[in-house]
Amino acid sequence: MAPSLNDDSPPSTIDEAFTENNLQPFVVLQKGSSRKSDRKSSGTGRTRRTDLSSASPKNSANIEDEKEDENMNLRMEAFEFVWSKIESTIKDVLRDINMNVFSEIQTWVHQSFDTIRSLGTPEFPEATQSFPIITDANSKRLFTGLVLTKNMEFVDDLLTFEELGKHLKYQGCHVANLSSLDFTAKNGVGGCLRSLLRQFLMSSLDPADISILASWYREENCNNPVVVIIDDIERCCGSVLSDFILMLSEWVIKIPVILIMGVATTLDAPRNILPSNALRCLCPFEFTLGTPAERMDAVVEAVLVKPCSGFIIGHKVAVFMRNYFVSQDGTLTSFIRALKIACTQHFYTEPLSVILLEFASEEDNLVLEIERYGLSPEVIWKHVFELPSCQRVRLNKPTSESLAHAFSELKRLQNQWRAVVLCLYVTGKGEKVRLLDLFCEAIDPESYNQGEFDTNMKAEKDPVLSSSRIKGHVICKAVRLVRDLSTAQLGNLLKIWENLTVGIPEINGKVKELLSLLNVEDGKSSKKDLTVTPRRHTSRIQLNIEKDSKSLSDKAANLIEGMVRDYMHPTECIPFHEIFCFKDADKLRLALIGDPRRRIQVDLLEFQKLLCCRCCTSSSNALLPSMHDTSIMYKLAQEHGDLINLHDWYQSFKSIVLCPNSKRKPRQSPLPKKRKGIKEAESQSEASIQARFCRAVTELQITGLLRMPSKRRPDFAQRVAFGL
Amino acid sequence: MDFNVAEEEEFGFSRNYFLAKEMGSSGKKSARKLSDINVVDEQELREASANIEPKHQNDVADLINSYKSLYPKWVFDLRCGFGLLMYGFGSKKSLIEDFASTALAEHSVVVINGYLQSINIKQVIIALAEILWEQLKLKRKVSSGSLPKVQQPFSSRSMDDLLVFLDGPEMDEKDSFICVVVNNIDGPGLRDTETQQYLARLASCSYIRVVASIDHVNAPLLWDKKMVHAQFNWYWYHVPTFAPYKVEGLFLPLILAHGSSKQSAKTALIVLQSLTPNAQSVFRILAEYQLSHPDDEGMAIDNLYSISRERFLVSSQVTLNAHLTEFKDHELVKTKRHSDGQDCLYIPLTKEGLEKLLSEIS
Repeated sequence: MAPSLNDDSPPSTIDEAFTENNLQPFVVLQKGSSRKSDRKSSGTGRTRRTDLSSASPKNSANIEDEKEDENMNLRMEAFEFVWSKIESTIKDVLRDINMNVFSEIQTWVHQSFDTIRSLGTPEFPEATQSFPIITDANSKRLFTGLVLTKNMEFVDDLLTFEELGKHLKYQGCHVANLSSLDFTAKNGVGGCLRSLLRQFLMSSLDPADISILASWYREENCNNPVVVIIDDIERCCGSVLSDFILMLSEWVIKIPVILIMGVATTLDAPRNILPSNALRCLCPFEFTLGTPAERMDAVVEAVLVKPCSGFIIGHKVAVFMRNYFVSQDGTLTSFIRALKIACTQHFYTEPLSVILLEFASEEDNLVLEIERYGLSPEVIWKHVFELPSCQRVRLNKPTSESLAHAFSELKRLQNQWRAVVLCLYVTGKGEKVRLLDLFCEAIDPESYNQGEFDTNMKAEKDPVLSSSRIKGHVICKAVRLVRDLSTAQLGNLLKIWENLTVGIPEINGKVKELLSLLNVEDGKSSKKDLTVTPRRHTSRIQLNIEKDSKSLSDKAANLIEGMVRDYMHPTECIPFHEIFCFKDADKLRLALIGDPRRRIQVDLLEFQKLLCCRCCTSSSNALLPSMHDTSIMYKLAQEHGDLINLHDWYQSFKSIVLCPNSKRKPRQSPLPKKRKGIKEAESQSEASIQARFCRAVTELQITGLLRMPSKRRPDFAQRVAFGL
Repeated sequence: MDFNVAEEEEFGFSRNYFLAKEMGSSGKKSARKLSDINVVDEQELREASANIEPKHQNDVADLINSYKSLYPKWVFDLRCGFGLLMYGFGSKKSLIEDFASTALAEHSVVVINGYLQSINIKQVIIALAEILWEQLKLKRKVSSGSLPKVQQPFSSRSMDDLLVFLDGPEMDEKDSFICVVVNNIDGPGLRDTETQQYLARLASCSYIRVVASIDHVNAPLLWDKKMVHAQFNWYWYHVPTFAPYKVEGLFLPLILAHGSSKQSAKTALIVLQSLTPNAQSVFRILAEYQLSHPDDEGMAIDNLYSISRERFLVSSQVTLNAHLTEFKDHELVKTKRHSDGQDCLYIPLTKEGLEKLLSEIS
């Protein structure tokens, strides 16, 4: 087994490291013990908790401990519940977005299949032969659907193609999903064939032969198309792909294969990858998926704006996730992953997050049974009253009812908020207002508290001010759009608003009022149109109508402004939101994006902060001999250029290690000066210093911060990282 | 992050690079040689490096102990389906193995030592499949269900089959996973793309959770977005330990011993083991000759050829040359001009090292 950490003396010689399992490529450290049957499924946290009692003194009491564990298990359950809900929502949303394309593809697949069949089905003797039938050039055509993903990040489309496969399977097709990894030069065409056989025949026969596939298809009654989906052709090896296409095209009469290929760039992609003889076999059709931004908005709408699981993210977290999406990673997958990490962290840190189990499932009449959460009521009430958002409003008495009341209030406010956000979203949708941006602004507690919307709105009315200040302000942009709408557009918009605000009578009433006003106006204007008017009056009437509609859209704009002002309470301004809302963006960032390049260097440069030792902390930047060897070496390396002279490096290292009292800031050539002090120590510890030097270099090499000397420059090591 | 800050950082980064470049080429480059250092004997150096007195031992122990409070969180993350990725300076081997053996006591744990030179990933996956099989068998016995018979022993199945088996349908008990601890997932034995792809596929299996450590600053370059987001599903933890990289650095040459012609017997052994038995025997002839003629400058090529031929190790000069090229490439053998003008071969190892090496390859 591995050396235990509890030992105060870690293995002192390298030999110890040799003897253990450390030199085996892999070791079975332990085998899972068979669990006791009475243990609940989620018992892992339990046993460990007791071990930690020394680490966290407040858990000293055993009962408290057990309660805590029970609570933790409940939280795990709640997490699983909430996350599965979010996950399935996301899946549904993405599937719905692609549904149109999917059914388009499906129709095409069946049409193509009919075309292939119309070329004739093989006779029995022909069909049983183990070589292809080729009658004319037409019979070699391979129907190919090119699916433009409009997305360079193929990771987002993995799910799409998986879903497409499922969809087609459901419609009776035989489907195989191949990835670009199946098309490697190393495995050749045999690799993809093997993968096909494995997916169609559910077995892996070693001499992979397409005639096996043909006989399998014959046995399958030949009534359904065979669809092969390749998720990203741009990452495939061109020669293997073209071999594959040529092979399939020869067999297409016997095995009516229809290819579907994902294309990330443009329609030119196949032409760039494939040689002309393979291209000639293809009979391409084009399909287009939605853009990543559309998908993102749909996901944000379903998961973060509409009621989904009850779990929400705070403003800072949202902004971080948005920025990460927009300027760093650009994949929806990582956005969802970030959401999952946020969710995990929330459930791990917030004891009352258990409530989400009920909060999400029950619509009204939330009945809270505090006792069920595994914690003692005192602990819970103490926790509740310590929530920062609770400091502002005083609960008169701590009862479950008052808490439940507070929660339903929170729900009510959230519903209002949601209605306003969605109204803004539909308003700006055509004008490229992104829901993600809107969402980030709408949940900003700062601007709400400061009444920033208000001032911006005022500025909005003053065109001189507005141009500079409100630029990029998504909410104001949406409001501004309302002003420019024509009567007909306004009518449509108001109808949508009316639907969105159902259930919130305060807003709904006002929308209805405006709508009826609009109808009256509409009636008026149409009447005016009907009446025959002398020519010279027309323009004035036209002007009047315009003016009326102007005032109407102004009213609508005022209405939405009012809605934003009065009803769009960001969740973070509502008491008790901490129970549902994850706000720690820094923690999320650390878990989502490790930054080894920077952090490892900082570890070395500022190691005393991490080790908390007293001996190495000094005000000056001087290197002290008590410091960690590798740290000294790395700091010394900072003074060199991209090449480090090993001799100089060694000498500076030696002088620092040997000179405890030296205040001198080490320079590159320390040799000439103080020979005297060093002399006596030198002889005895030369070997050990050299060994330490070697080890430090090795450690730097392991971290990748140093490249070893090459044959050409045996006396210089090379620095790899410059700056953090 | 503010966009400007990011940009600023980027500029800073390139500025630093060019400054460093400039410093290197501005003539200030020192011309001192490594050989100016009075390097002690390699044997002594190795001995000394084995006995380096650890600094800050208590502080390091405290630091590592402080991570124990994170164990429950790590377990929580694993159960949520994440893989844990530990980074930060210092060996994390003992930390994560301690985590696995205490906090995951109820799970099977397999450790892969990525710092070693060669790892057969298939063997690992076979072992995992066998463990899972045992676990499932045990469980079915309890729940009196029957398991489909294994048609084939795991060792003769293909990688795909094994991975499909490990990615089987979720059990009723969701968190009964096998934990795979990968020390140095960026290590030399695992660094190639194919292995990383297999590891990623392994990590995405329903029965598997991965806890891995990286040490190299550029380790994330090993993975594409699919691997990171969809397969490994990393949850990053910064856990510097400042513990010495003892085993991890074992196979790296000591820099002060590197420049000299001395080859360590250990690396020679590793190279030799990867060669064919015939090549090993040829090497043996040379080594035995060198041991029995300690005063000779080396063995003549003709001489080596005739002996090798007698023993049916090589059939022609060409095959012998192929072996010799291999030896020379790995610096197992060097050529020297003999005083009589003939080229001769010698092994740049000490007598003791050579003896040890011979005993180990036999």
